[in-house]
Amino acid sequence: MNFLKPVLVFCCLALPVYTSSALADNVSPAPNFDIKTTQLKSSLQDLQGKVVYVDFWASWCKPCRKSFPWMNNMQAKYPDDLQVIAINLDAEPELAAAFLDKVPAHIPIVYDPQGNIAKAYKLLGMPSSYLIDKKGNIRFSHKGFFTERESLYENEINTLLNEQE
Amino acid sequence: MRHKILKISALLLLIQLAGCANLGVQPWERDLLAKDEMALDSEGNDLGLDDHIYFSKEGTSGGRAFAGGGCGCN
Amino acid sequence: MKKTINITAALASATCALLHPYASANDMLEGWKVDTSLMYYGETDRVTAVETVIAGQKDFGDERLFTGKIVIDTLTGASATGAVAQLTAQTVSRPSGQGSYTVNAGETPLDNTFKDTRVQVDGQWTQPWSDVSRITTGLHLSTEHDYYSLGFNGSYAHDFYNKNTTLSGGLAYSYDVIKPEGGLPVPFSTKTASTGYSEDYDDDGYIEEDGDDNYANDERSGSSDNKSTIDVLFGLTQVINRRMLMQFNLGVSQINGYSTDPYKVLSIVNDQGLTQSLVYENRPDSRIKTFAFWQTKYALDFGVADFSYRFATDDWKVDSHTFDSRLRINLSDSSYLQPHFRYYNQSAAEFFQPFLMEGQALPEFATADYRLGEMTAYTLGLKYGMELDNGDELSFRLEYYQQSPKNAGFTEPGTLKDVDLYPSVKAVIAQVNYRF
Repeated sequence: MNFLKPVLVFCCLALPVYTSSALADNVSPAPNFDIKTTQLKSSLQDLQGKVVYVDFWASWCKPCRKSFPWMNNMQAKYPDDLQVIAINLDAEPELAAAFLDKVPAHIPIVYDPQGNIAKAYKLLGMPSSYLIDKKGNIRFSHKGFFTERESLYENEINTLLNEQE
Repeated sequence: MRHKILKISALLLLIQLAGCANLGVQPWERDLLAKDEMALDSEGNDLGLDDHIYFSKEGTSGGRAFAGGGCGCN
Repeated sequence: MKKTINITAALASATCALLHPYASANDMLEGWKVDTSLMYYGETDRVTAVETVIAGQKDFGDERLFTGKIVIDTLTGASATGAVAQLTAQTVSRPSGQGSYTVNAGETPLDNTFKDTRVQVDGQWTQPWSDVSRITTGLHLSTEHDYYSLGFNGSYAHDFYNKNTTLSGGLAYSYDVIKPEGGLPVPFSTKTASTGYSEDYDDDGYIEEDGDDNYANDERSGSSDNKSTIDVLFGLTQVINRRMLMQFNLGVSQINGYSTDPYKVLSIVNDQGLTQSLVYENRPDSRIKTFAFWQTKYALDFGVADFSYRFATDDWKVDSHTFDSRLRINLSDSSYLQPHFRYYNQSAAEFFQPFLMEGQALPEFATADYRLGEMTAYTLGLKYGMELDNGDELSFRLEYYQQSPKNAGFTEPGTLKDVDLYPSVKAVIAQVNYRF
């Protein structure tokens, strides 16, 4: 009986931490948005058939500094079937430019200074990421970015990449 | 008078929570609040040193955090 | 033979333990955010203190945070004993009973406080409980030659409405041991001028920490006592809008145990205002305190405005109001100036008496310690901070603190009218911080 107590306490402490990245029970279609960049097609819906990783970031968000190198890696690792898009929410575009000078991005940036796309995605925190499958549905979402969970995030990408269209 | 102020404060605290649904910002509107100098404990050392001085030289202690933790300051 | 804590040895061994497994100082500090401060506090003609703070924080991933702090402070100088000034010189004995000193005419009696060094260690661990809540546990230790304190605390914080609202609750317990120089005085016993024991003080007139203690004196009731404190705290943090954040805290504390200051006395004066004798003070052995605290921080285009108000009350009838404000003015992207103003006002404890009248029955509790009397205090300060090329921050702070004790309605008999029973206490604070 003595050793059960610490085990129970440990379970109570450990369990909640991992529920934040649980699968969404009800998969919902990803809200569409325009992509006005030179490299990409004109809207999210045009990317159906590919797995899309949408990341919402801003220059003042600290974990974003860690997420960009990882996103650059992912895009380079899966160039054909994965599309990473970073949506910037800075109210002032100069701040975003200053951030990108220090933290290079090899992925397209979409600017949403009014927060319209963020509202459509019902953003709960900064940064937030959404993994969209080949059919255009949101399958995984994460609030925050943790370097300890990079392999977990990559596993989720692989799961979606291996699915049929 | 003293107890009235405290009872009012406690009530305000509860009302605040109920009314809090309407206050606040969207996660992407936290640019200014995210600055280091906007954190409540941004000058931790200064606040701690000040609290120690005032606890030793005045009759009241506490406020930002626990009032406890003693020293035999004369 | 009094045991002295060999602080140097303790610090050396702790440092070795920390440094040993690491290849270099840089490896050891990886991931740590460290904030160091050196502060000088000096009152005119009274207490002087020098404090060093080393505070560190490390994120262990998954939002688990450790915060640690070490404070070392040394205190020298003299503090008011609670005895009244007189128009003629007075001879007063030292608290340890070893020897005596003279107080000049018209001066407030101060006793040459001991050269004392205090070491404090705090540690705190925070980890997520769920993705919208956190728990924190902490430990506190403080030690000086006549006072030891050990405390534990725990708190829970829950976020609501996308972290716009955070509710928190916490509990703390602290156990203190008081072992005064000279033993515990019997309340209202007379403090004698001289006891004729061997004098063990150094050339500056300070008691040596290794002095012999021989307390066969019948003014002593024992060598140590203790006190325990329980604190309950509730807090609410609320984002008001994109620029404004507010915090409300409510707290209750219960203190049980020895709360008297073993070094403070009261003068018994006759109706001409002449001191007949000095007696040790006595405070109740329980105290229930409550406070309400409100703070707001506002992000301006050129900086930050910070304002707070605290109301406190207790069953000793010490009520206080504290207004504290800071205005950060950014001079450039990497430097700022921050003026600071604080106003404090407290009412006297119900057992506060600046002196006792000869012939009247002794009250159950009494203190002449001006820190429990009616007073107003204000602080005026300026801080300058700058970010260095390597990202570290250096800052300097200079403050002026003045306390003005007031007469809470006592009539002074005879010649006491001609001395200052409520002298102001003026202090300068100078501090340098380095953060990396």
